[in-house]
Amino acid sequence: MENLVSQLEQWKNGVDQWIHRQPVEQLYVAAGVVFLTFVFFVLLRILKRTKPNTIVLAGLSGSGKTTLFYQLRDGSPHQGTVTSMEPNEGSFILHSELEKKKKINPVYVVDVPGHSRLRLKLDEYLPQTAGLVFVVDALDFLPNCRAAAEYLYDILTKTTIVKRKIPVLILCNKTDKVTAHTKDFIRKQLEKEIDKLRTSRTAISTADIANEHSLGTAGEPFVISQCVNKVTVAEASGLTGNISQVEHFIREYVRP
Amino acid sequence: MLEQLLIFTRGGLILWTCKELGTALLKGSPIDTLIKSCLLEDRSADSSFDCDPYTLKWSFHNDLGLVFVAVYQRIFHLLYVDDLLASIKREFCQIYDPKRMNYDDFDETFRQLRREAESRAEEMRKSKQLLQQQQQLSSMRGPAAIKKQQGNGGGQQRSGRSKGGKGTGKDDGPDSKPSKENEEPNKGGGRVVVSKDNGSSSSEDVSGAFDVSKLQKMRVKGGKKGDHTNTTNKGGASKAGEPKKTAKKNRVWGDSPKEEVKLDFTDGGGDGSMEGEGEGVIEVQGESMMDKEENYDSSESEEEEEEEEGDVAARPDASKKKGWFSSMFQSIAGNGVIEKSDLGPALKALKDRLMTKNVAEEIAEKICESVSASLEGKRLGSFTRISSTVQTAMEEALTRILTPRRSIDILRDVHAAREQGKPYVIVFVGVNGVGKSTNLAKVAYWLLQHNLSVQLTACDTFRSGAVEQLRTHARRLQIDIFEKGYEKDPAMVAKESIQKAHRDHTDVVLVDTAGRMQDKDDLMRELSKLINLNTPDLVLFVGEALVGNDAVDQLTKFNQKLADLSNSSNTRLIDGILLTKFDTIDDKVGAALSMVYISGAPIMFVGCGQSYTDLKKLNVKSIVKTLLK
Repeated sequence: MENLVSQLEQWKNGVDQWIHRQPVEQLYVAAGVVFLTFVFFVLLRILKRTKPNTIVLAGLSGSGKTTLFYQLRDGSPHQGTVTSMEPNEGSFILHSELEKKKKINPVYVVDVPGHSRLRLKLDEYLPQTAGLVFVVDALDFLPNCRAAAEYLYDILTKTTIVKRKIPVLILCNKTDKVTAHTKDFIRKQLEKEIDKLRTSRTAISTADIANEHSLGTAGEPFVISQCVNKVTVAEASGLTGNISQVEHFIREYVRP
Repeated sequence: MLEQLLIFTRGGLILWTCKELGTALLKGSPIDTLIKSCLLEDRSADSSFDCDPYTLKWSFHNDLGLVFVAVYQRIFHLLYVDDLLASIKREFCQIYDPKRMNYDDFDETFRQLRREAESRAEEMRKSKQLLQQQQQLSSMRGPAAIKKQQGNGGGQQRSGRSKGGKGTGKDDGPDSKPSKENEEPNKGGGRVVVSKDNGSSSSEDVSGAFDVSKLQKMRVKGGKKGDHTNTTNKGGASKAGEPKKTAKKNRVWGDSPKEEVKLDFTDGGGDGSMEGEGEGVIEVQGESMMDKEENYDSSESEEEEEEEEGDVAARPDASKKKGWFSSMFQSIAGNGVIEKSDLGPALKALKDRLMTKNVAEEIAEKICESVSASLEGKRLGSFTRISSTVQTAMEEALTRILTPRRSIDILRDVHAAREQGKPYVIVFVGVNGVGKSTNLAKVAYWLLQHNLSVQLTACDTFRSGAVEQLRTHARRLQIDIFEKGYEKDPAMVAKESIQKAHRDHTDVVLVDTAGRMQDKDDLMRELSKLINLNTPDLVLFVGEALVGNDAVDQLTKFNQKLADLSNSSNTRLIDGILLTKFDTIDDKVGAALSMVYISGAPIMFVGCGQSYTDLKKLNVKSIVKTLLK
């Protein structure tokens, strides 16, 4: 042990002497380089953080998120999709904007699987999110109404969403089908369900406090305009490619 | 027949489907069901999945994130599906490009592979018959018969070999890796093995016909095989190639001999049959080198890992440094693709850790297998260690398992039932002494706090004092109790209770049942009757957190009995779990995992104390953290 200490001291002395032998300018230059590199990285970090450009697609399983994702990216749903097991993500220029000549900023789009066991992945993306698209199946809406409302409630009460006021677009998908519900009907149903959830969700002596934010104003029936963040409703059809309202939403929050 | 064959990414985009098969629409959506109820439940280590009326088999390519699924009617036992999936995986990975979305040109290759796989399966079947025939003949006529049947014998031997390959593939598990490796020798090397056996039975005058290079190849090949150390058989091996060759050609490539060139991935010269065989051997030779290297690699890392693990146990200080150094070296060197053998030690350590946390052994084993299946073939990122990769994968898997599949918001359901003017019925079931009555009272207290009217029902007409106990709870909580004393049929008691609640417009009916061991048939029948007669909204299994391996048995038997003994068409199984005595177990929280994995039902409540207020929700994150601590 003592040997080791003495050896260390020897080395230290050696290093000291070596430094003293170097010209002073060289030391300054070295320190300067280190400092500049540091500043550069810090700047890079800050620049990156100030521009959230992620659009998150969320919604129940089978509502058409993956189709929408590929529709946005490639302008075609390819050969169809199955239930996702992993998020699809990618940074790209929207397919409809490809023809434009001028330089366009790409969007980072993430499609989070709707299966309830994979929803936790959503939290990973929320810090960089500029806007969230909540996809609802307008065709098969009523059987899934409660589940959709629960998921939407969870999203709307998430700390990150509330604090950063992330805009949410409720997108009624599959409107190309004749029997699809209208967006007003869906909005009303969702509001009604969320209103019920408000009373029941403040339950059980909480072991994990997931939802600490209450939604809307107490004593009034819930309407989505009461949310602190902007919540809008739109229609689209992922399969036929009628997605102009989504693209509009995306470009509103991620500048081209 | 094969109904459908799909290739899709883990993200869910279908890359290729067989168009000839795809014309007939599948009933339901078996693929989605497979993903939801098998692959995402961490049961991907199973070999196949039944979804009425289909059976599905699948194979992963973890590095590229691809999934290959074959769907076929369950009544056909298609032997070649595993084989086909493995070969399709091999072919498809070569043309896969993440940017490309259209793989129409894969159709041709698929047809080819399918024919190949089918004929192999056919051969396998035939060879069994032939083998019997030959045995009869040879016993009757002696060696002359063997000579006559030489051509057939070759086919037999070869397919016998391929069968062997398949067998080992199965033994190693459903994963495609071993079967894929075994495929390789089947294609090119099968002949060589065959001819060896044949050569020994025939004359040796042709032994001068082969050249030295071939001999070397054979040697490498033999070395690789390991189980056939053949220095003496070489002569026969190359010699007997010729008759074999023609026989094989007719069988496998029958209708379109041109395609052989296409499928031969070493650039085929096609000079002659001998040449062709030579190339087949070359391919195998290359493979063997790869194998060697990989084996070496993996064994090395295994050693390292084991060493590390051992050291950690013995003297953590010294080992840490060493482990860090070796893993640093490993990560910088970049050992690329993760092999099954690399995962072994890390998974074993994790399994042991899970088991010390009281997870049932069977469950720990299954989860580890599933994690291994999800990691195998993945590329290790630079500056990461295998153990940490495994750790994160395990964490994800555990979180996924414990996160409830459906909403566990009982209050919401109660409100929905109230709107329909019905009482919401919860039945508490479980083995003796786990705390059914106590926790029933806690749930009642919790419901009362949310301004719901509650009625207790004493269906424990079996144990002395049970009704009185419940009455005491009812008095303390000041709620209604419905009881009919002892020696009554509990199913009828529950029915009357629900009718009464209907009249009184009570919101919730809590039914307490007698504790019963899972193998007492008569008691289980009684429970089944109660549940089927009253169709409760929620069947809550009460289990204690202290239980270890028995958790598996309890839940499977309960579910089994409920399913078997019910006479109605839609059987009720356990919907949720109430975990009791959670405050007594410190960090041995494994029972929670075992129960959820076995039943697939979420943990709705956790009982953690003696007073009415001690009822909690399960905190998934903290459980996962504790399990992996």
